[in-house]
Amino acid sequence: MKRTYLGEFEEIVLLTVAVLDGQAYGVVLMHEIVEQTGRSVRLNQVHSALQRLEEKGMVRSEMGEPTNERGGRRKRLFSVTAYGHRTLQEIQEVRVSFWSRLTHPLKLSV
Amino acid sequence: MKTQPPILADKLLKWFCAPHLLEDIQGDLHEEFAFQVKRLGLREAQWFYWRKVLGFMKMRYIKRLPQKYPKTNSYNPDMLQNYFKIAVRNLLKNRTFSLINITGLAVGLVCCLAIGLYVWDEYQYDRAVPQFEQVYRLTERQKQATGLYDIAVTPGPLAPALKNDFPEITETTRVGAWSGLLQYQQTAVEPEAMRVVDASFLSFFGFKLLKGNPQTVLSAPDEIVISEAVAERFFGKDWRTQSVLGKTIHYNQELPVRLTGIVENSPARSHLQFDVLLPFKYFELNDKWSYNWGSNNYHTYLKIRPDANVAAFSQKLAGQLKKYDKGNETPLLLQPLHDIHLYSDFDFGTDWGNHGNIRYVRIFVIVGLIVLLIALFNFINLSTARATQRAREVGVRKSVGALRSSLIAQFWGESLLMTSLALGVGLLLLNLLMPFFNELSGKVMAVPFQQPVFWIAMFGILLLVSFLTGLYPAFYLSSFRPVSVLKGIFDKKSGAGFRKTLVVTQFVMSIVLIIGTVGLYQQLQFMQNKNLGFDKEQLLYVRLKGDVSQKAMTLKELLTKRSSIASVSATTSTLVNMQNTSYIEWTGKTPKNEFLITQMNVDADFLKTTGMTLAAGRNFSTAIASDTSNKYGTYLLNETAARRMGWTPQQALGKKVNFWGLDGAIVGVVSDFHFRPMNVKIEPFIVRFRPKERYFNLLVKTRPDQTQRALADIARLYKKFERNQPFSYGFVNQDLERQYTIEQRTGQLLLSFSILAILIACLGLFGLATFTAEQRIKEIGIRKVMGASIANITSLLSKDFIKLVLIANGIAFPLAHYGLNHWLQDFEYRIGIEWWIFAVAGISAIGISLLTVSFQAIKAALMNPVKSLKSE
Repeated sequence: MKRTYLGEFEEIVLLTVAVLDGQAYGVVLMHEIVEQTGRSVRLNQVHSALQRLEEKGMVRSEMGEPTNERGGRRKRLFSVTAYGHRTLQEIQEVRVSFWSRLTHPLKLSV
Repeated sequence: MKTQPPILADKLLKWFCAPHLLEDIQGDLHEEFAFQVKRLGLREAQWFYWRKVLGFMKMRYIKRLPQKYPKTNSYNPDMLQNYFKIAVRNLLKNRTFSLINITGLAVGLVCCLAIGLYVWDEYQYDRAVPQFEQVYRLTERQKQATGLYDIAVTPGPLAPALKNDFPEITETTRVGAWSGLLQYQQTAVEPEAMRVVDASFLSFFGFKLLKGNPQTVLSAPDEIVISEAVAERFFGKDWRTQSVLGKTIHYNQELPVRLTGIVENSPARSHLQFDVLLPFKYFELNDKWSYNWGSNNYHTYLKIRPDANVAAFSQKLAGQLKKYDKGNETPLLLQPLHDIHLYSDFDFGTDWGNHGNIRYVRIFVIVGLIVLLIALFNFINLSTARATQRAREVGVRKSVGALRSSLIAQFWGESLLMTSLALGVGLLLLNLLMPFFNELSGKVMAVPFQQPVFWIAMFGILLLVSFLTGLYPAFYLSSFRPVSVLKGIFDKKSGAGFRKTLVVTQFVMSIVLIIGTVGLYQQLQFMQNKNLGFDKEQLLYVRLKGDVSQKAMTLKELLTKRSSIASVSATTSTLVNMQNTSYIEWTGKTPKNEFLITQMNVDADFLKTTGMTLAAGRNFSTAIASDTSNKYGTYLLNETAARRMGWTPQQALGKKVNFWGLDGAIVGVVSDFHFRPMNVKIEPFIVRFRPKERYFNLLVKTRPDQTQRALADIARLYKKFERNQPFSYGFVNQDLERQYTIEQRTGQLLLSFSILAILIACLGLFGLATFTAEQRIKEIGIRKVMGASIANITSLLSKDFIKLVLIANGIAFPLAHYGLNHWLQDFEYRIGIEWWIFAVAGISAIGISLLTVSFQAIKAALMNPVKSLKSE
């Protein structure tokens, strides 16, 4: 299958970017991921994941408005590209197809 | 409260983070910090911030974006290649100047390097001694009626006494000078430097024993150790393969001693020169006369513990002598081993062996630097003088964006190139000239090409010299304003004042060197030709060895009968640098006016043979019974001795003295004569007449032009008395001259270097003259058209330069006078500095420079004006 490999963490970041819909940038992304997944995430990990995603062409970025907390520095706002959307979709489809083929659906352990 | 993330962390981030990522990352970090402050408090948040910043220290964030446009860099290979090309083109375009520059600099460097090698060698003395830094020699500063005297010898019992009393001392050794004759079977050898040494001597100084047991050697009184050279004379070239140890050698034909070791020849770079070693033990046991506290006969060397406080130790040592020897107030001093070679200036010849002299080392260093400086000035002068030719280039480079710094680098690079060429040529020259230089300096040196230190030093010199040569030109050339130079407006006078100053300085230095050289040669001439108080011409001495010394009188009688010989006198020494001194008692002596007197034993023909004159009284005579008495001495004093005793020559006659325990009377006073080099005043002298004691020399006065015949006669007659031993002789005047070897060497070196200095200075002048002539070529053309004569133009061009040389003369004279005077203070008997020395130096400097300049000036004046004016 000809598809760019996407790491698990990258996938989560990409999904989060998609969820935040145009308002995604480093710190917010980090906080969102921490909240949603409960794992500890460091800022530099988020940044490097974003950089890799951008290199792969799945997100694009533009400079946003400066805020006071940032000492007047601008944010870099990320949004998912069409390629990124397609990739997410493909991943989802692959997973769904596997799930549907499960003969004994998994039971949540009590 | 405004909360700030840690500033240092921010600075760190700013430093490592790539600029295109910085804003985003720093913003996020700050936002996060603000959030964490609310959650955790300031302190925790700050820690957090630090950790986060460090988290970003990854290649990903450090790597900078590739530059969109290529950066113009003055130091990129293309530019360097261009600089190099331009430099080479310039070199080739101005061949004369390049040649002058490189030759001048190369010659200057050769001088400097040669002198550097010499000085380095002088400082290498005794470095091979183990624990070199901790070795000291004890010296004394004796107070006598006529002043303080430094002597390098100390009493024999001092070393063991000090070793016993001071825990700081780890090792001691004593060295005494001795002489005598050695005989093994049929071969007799008179060693040049016989030394009496402690058993510790070899290990103390690290001399290698080639044969024998280093543990036991020289510990018994009847041992002897000889050097390789002496071994070769005794046993032939193949002594190494023979078993020579244990052989019996006779000392002075009476005392048999055992050969227990053969030691390497004393190293060239050692202040200790010896060829035979005798054990100290023997003299300790047998020579009560010199082994006591009252007699200073030995060098005493100490090794001090590395952790000892030398200053405190030398304080304690100063007053130590009176503890051993009551009433002896003479202080003991420590002389470090590394000072012995260069800083030994001791009285009464108490320091044997040849030494360097720090004064001459300093003179050489100064001369070397002067020559190098003159060469540097040439370089600076010529490159700034030709600045007009480079001005356009500078203008163009600046207008297309060259920074001043890159121009400076370019010109500095050019001087680096020139200096490298000069250094290369210089090293080649140095290697070729080394034999010549060795002859001048009396050393055996080679250019140490295989030593890495040498190359590091060369590299250092290269950088330093090119830095100095390039300094002014680089800043001067790079200072041009492109607007004016490209328009062709150029101030031709600019920098001229600086150049003139340099030329004047060059000539000041050259003239000082010339005057110094002439003065030194004058003094040398003076010392060699001064009336010594006796006639040194046609005077030779014959050493009486072994048995012959007992038959001296018989040999003398036979020699006197030869027609080739005018007169013969038996003596104990040879009139050259006599050192044998003692105290003398006389009526009216007080401890205050005590002095040391030099002595010699002669026969009745002494005055006749040497041509000395009597100031009062009479000569010795064999006819007068009291003169030859065993119980009573008869003496001649010199005028100085009589004066010190408080008498005029007339008053001295008949006065009673006691010398060497023998009462006697003064029968005459000889006029003062020089028995030491001219550095020292004439000291008191006493001539003894003891015909029954031993004589060691015959002084022979030959008839004019009969020297060869006389020598043949002496050789023939000498053989009758002594078959086995060679007949050895010398000429008094040659030996006298040898005393001034170091002055002669310095004179020769100084002469060569001042010739070079003036040559280099003239080379520079030649270059400048060429340049001016070129610049003023149109002016000269017009002047000629208007009717100027060749003489007019020549003088026009030469005038400026000669003015500079005249100014240089004015500055150089007082400087040279001061320097020369300072040096002459070293000599008790010296020349007055005469005006003609200055006149000679000044006129020759002007003459040489005139010659140099006028060559160019006349060439320019002879030029056809049509040629110089036809094109504009």
